[in-house]
Amino acid sequence: MTTRIMRMTARVVVPIVLVLAISLLLQGHNLPGGGFIGGVLTVIAFTLIYVAYDLDYLEVGVLGREVDPAVGIYEHRTVATYRRLFIAGLVVVVASGLGALVFGEPFLSQTFTHLYLPLFGDVELASATIFDIGIYAVVVGGLLTIFSVVGAE
Amino acid sequence: MGPERWVILTAIALPFVVAATLPVLARLLDEAVGYVGALVALVSFSLIASQVGREGVVAVPWIPSLNIAFQFQVDGWALLFALLASGIGVLIFTYAARYMHGKSSLGRFFMTLLAFMGSILGVAFAADLIALFLFWELTSVCSFVLIGYYTADEESQKSARMAMIVTVGGGLCLLVAVALLAIAAEMALGTRTFDLAMMLENQGAMRTTLEEHGLFLPVLALLSVAAAAKSAQVPLHFWLPRAMVAPTPVSAFLHSATMVKVGVYALGRLRPIFSGTEWTILLTSLGLFTMTVGAVLAVLATDIKELLAYSTASHLGLMVAALGLQSHYGPEAGAFHLFNHALFKAALFLVAGIVAHETGTRNLDELGGIWRDLPVVAAVTVVTGLSMAGVPPLSGFYSKELLFAGTWKLATHAGGTMWLFPVVATFASIFTVLYSLRFLWLFFGDRPAGLDVEHRPALSLLVPPVVLAVLVAGTSVLPDVAIHAIVQDAAQSTAVEPVEVHAALPLSLSGPVVMSFVALGGGIATFPYVDRIRTAIGTVSRAVRVVHPTAVYRATLDGTGQVSASLGPAVHNGLVRTYVTWLVAAACGLAILGYVATGTGLASPLVLETPLAMSVVLGVSVVAAVAVTTADSHVTGVLTLGILGFMVAIFYIFASGPDLALTQLIVETLLLLIFLLVLEQMPAFYGELQKRVAVRDAALSIFAGATAALSVLIASPPGDDPLTDTARFYVDAAVHEGGGTNVVNVILTDFRAFDTLGESMVVSVAAIAVLVLLAMRTQGETE
Repeated sequence: MTTRIMRMTARVVVPIVLVLAISLLLQGHNLPGGGFIGGVLTVIAFTLIYVAYDLDYLEVGVLGREVDPAVGIYEHRTVATYRRLFIAGLVVVVASGLGALVFGEPFLSQTFTHLYLPLFGDVELASATIFDIGIYAVVVGGLLTIFSVVGAE
Repeated sequence: MGPERWVILTAIALPFVVAATLPVLARLLDEAVGYVGALVALVSFSLIASQVGREGVVAVPWIPSLNIAFQFQVDGWALLFALLASGIGVLIFTYAARYMHGKSSLGRFFMTLLAFMGSILGVAFAADLIALFLFWELTSVCSFVLIGYYTADEESQKSARMAMIVTVGGGLCLLVAVALLAIAAEMALGTRTFDLAMMLENQGAMRTTLEEHGLFLPVLALLSVAAAAKSAQVPLHFWLPRAMVAPTPVSAFLHSATMVKVGVYALGRLRPIFSGTEWTILLTSLGLFTMTVGAVLAVLATDIKELLAYSTASHLGLMVAALGLQSHYGPEAGAFHLFNHALFKAALFLVAGIVAHETGTRNLDELGGIWRDLPVVAAVTVVTGLSMAGVPPLSGFYSKELLFAGTWKLATHAGGTMWLFPVVATFASIFTVLYSLRFLWLFFGDRPAGLDVEHRPALSLLVPPVVLAVLVAGTSVLPDVAIHAIVQDAAQSTAVEPVEVHAALPLSLSGPVVMSFVALGGGIATFPYVDRIRTAIGTVSRAVRVVHPTAVYRATLDGTGQVSASLGPAVHNGLVRTYVTWLVAAACGLAILGYVATGTGLASPLVLETPLAMSVVLGVSVVAAVAVTTADSHVTGVLTLGILGFMVAIFYIFASGPDLALTQLIVETLLLLIFLLVLEQMPAFYGELQKRVAVRDAALSIFAGATAALSVLIASPPGDDPLTDTARFYVDAAVHEGGGTNVVNVILTDFRAFDTLGESMVVSVAAIAVLVLLAMRTQGETE
C-alpha cells in the first residue's frame, strides 16, 4: 500500500481532511457535524498516513524526532500520546458535566450565550462545545490507540 | 423523654471511626491496641447507659427519595441489647488484648472486632428496615472475617465460608421480608416506607394488610428463616459449632453473647406485629426443638468450646420459644434470658479460653480436677455454670422458670398437643443440667494423668470472667435490680400486653416448679451414667448422619460447584461467533418480548410515495448485500460491503438526514481503510461451510433484520403527522433550550449527554481492552 500514488494522495488529502474535521467539530452545534464525526474524520486522516507510510512517519518525518526501534508498541511514544488523549478527553467530558454542578444544575446540564464581536458579528458560545471537544478527543485517542496497536501486529 | 440525637449517633459511629484507624495503631501498640477497643466500647457503653429510660426515634437522612434513613429507635429492648453488646465488649477487648499476645494480624483482628461492635449497636437501634438489613449483614461479614482469622488454616477457611453462606443466606430471606413489609406498609399507611417504628406504631393496620393480601405467612416464614440462620436454630445450627475455630474472645463475643442473638432480637422487635397462633406454633416449636437438639448434642460434645456452642444453640432455642409464646410470660422469659445468657455464657467461654490457654487442650476427656490450680476460675465456673443449668437461686433459674410457666399456662389453657411444649422443655432441661455438670467436672472430676497446668492466668484474662460472674451472682441475689434497671422495659417493648417481670424463689408447689424439680433431679440422677447416655446419643447421631444438615450443606455446595464447573465451559466455549449468536439473538428476542409485553401495536405508518431515485439506491444496496455473502475474495467482499454502506449514506441524504449521511460516509471510509490495514493478515480460507451453521446464521440474520425493520415501523410516526411527539419536542426545544440549530448535535451534547458520555466510555473501554488483550496475548494460561 505504500505506492507513490498512495503517498501523493495522502500528502494532498490529509491536510484537507484535518481542516474539514476541525471545522465539522466546531460548527457541529448549528450545522451538520459534531465531536463524533469530527473525531472519526481525524482518525481517517491519521489512518491514511499509516497506510501510506508507517507508524513512525509522524515522529520521524513530521516532528523530526528519533525513534528507538527497540521500544515495543505499547511503550511507543505515539501510542502513549493517543492513550493520554482519550483519557484527557474523558476528563474533559466529565469535568464539563461536573461544571454544571457548581452552578447548582444537574450533572451534564449545558448552557449557551451570545457574544457580539467586531468582524465576526454574532458568535454563539455554547458549553456543549466543550463537551463535544471532549468527545472528539476520546474518539480520536481511543480509535487511534486501537488502530496503531492492531496495525503494528 | 426523647433520646439525645448526638449521643446515639456517636455511640454507633465511634466504633466504626476508630476501627478504621486500628490497623495503623496496631503497628505502634501491638496487642495493647485491644485496650483502645475496650476504651471505645466503654465510651459507647456510657453513652448508651445515659439514655436508659428514654424512648424515641432519632434519624439521619440517607436516601430521602426512597424514604430510607439511618433511623434509630431507643426503647428498652434496643437498650438492653446495646448495653449487653458494648458492656461485654469492654470485657472482651480487655481479655483479647492479653489473649492475642504474640499473634499475627492484630490490626485486622481488632479492627473487625470493633467494627462488629458498631454493627451490633446499629442492629440494636435500627428502626429502618434497610438500615437493619445493612447492619445485620455487616455483623455476618465481620463474623466471617473473625472466624477465618487463621487464614492459612483450611478448617478455618471452611468454617468461615459455612458461617457466611448460612447467615448471609438467611440475610437474603430478611431482605425479601423487608421488601414485602415495605409493600405492605405502602398499602396500610399510604406511603412506601421502611420505617420500622412507624410500622410498629400501626401494628394493627400492618397486620390486617398482610393478612388480607396473603403476605402474612410468607413474611413470617422468611423472617423465621433469617432469624433461625442467624441464631443457629435447628436445622440451620450446624455452622455455630464449626465457628469455634475462631479465637476464644470471638467465640465469647460474637458466637454466644451478641451476634447469634441478633435473630432473637429481630424476632422480639417484630413480635408485636406478628404475634398470634401461627407465630406461637412456628416459633415455640422451632425453639423447643432447637433447645432439645442443642442440649443433647452438647452432652455428646468432647471439645469444651463445642459443648458451649451447642449449649448456646440450645439456649437461643429457649429464647426463641419464649418469644413465640403469646402470654405475658413470653416477653418476660425472652428478655430476661437474653440478659442472663449473655452474662453467663460469655463468662464460660472466657473460662474455656483460660483452660485451653493454661493446659494446652480443649478435650473434655483430657481435663479434670484442676480447681486447685485455677481456684478463681473454678469459682467463676461454679456460679455461671450452675446459672446455665438453671439451678436455684441463680439467675438462669428465674428466666427458665418463666419459660416453664409460659408453656405450662399454654398447655393448661389449650390442652391437647400443647402439653408437648412443657414436656419437651423439661426434657431438654434435663440435658442442660447434664452438660453443665460435665463442664463443671473440668474442675472437680478425677484428674487425668499427665495433665499439667503451666502457669497462673494473667490478671487481664481473669478480670473479665470474674466481672461477669459477679454480675451473674448479683442478678441471682437481687434479680429486681436488673429487672428494674432494664429487663422490665425490654420485655415491655416486645410485648403487646402489659408485662411485669417477676423473679423470686417459688414458695409453693405448682406446675412450673415441678418441671424444674424434674429437670434438676433428672439431670443429677443421670449424671453418673453420662457415659452410657453419650454412647447412646452417638449411636443415634451416626444413624441419622445422612439427613444431618452438614451432609445436606456439603451435598448442596458440591452440587453447585459441579454444575458451575460444567456450565462454565458450555457457555464460554471461546468461540467469538457463539457469543455473537447469543448476543444478537438475545437482544432481538428481548426487543420483541418488550413489544409484546407492552402491547405495542403497529400504527398504520404514514405512507409516502417513494421517489424513483430512492428506490434505485435501496435496490442497489439490496443487491450489494446479497453479493457480499457470495463474494469469493476478501477484496471483493470489502468493496461490495462498501457499496452497501455508501448506498445507505445516499439514502440518508434523500431522507434529509445530513448528519446521519455524513457519519455513515465517514465510518464507511474508515472501515475501508481498516480493511486495507488488516487485509494481508486475514486467512484466505476458512474451511468448509457446514450446512447446519449456515442455516443457523441465515436464520439469525433474518431474525435480526426483521426485528430492526419492526422497530423502525413501530417507532415511525403514526397517522398523518410526520413527527412523533418525542421528535417534535426535540425540534421545538433545540434552539431555545440547547442553543443549537443542529437538532442531532443538541440531542447528543445536551438533551441526552449522559448517553454520549456512556458511549465515550465505551470507546475508551474498547481501546483499553484491545491494549490489554494484545499485550497479554503472549502470557496467560497457554504458557
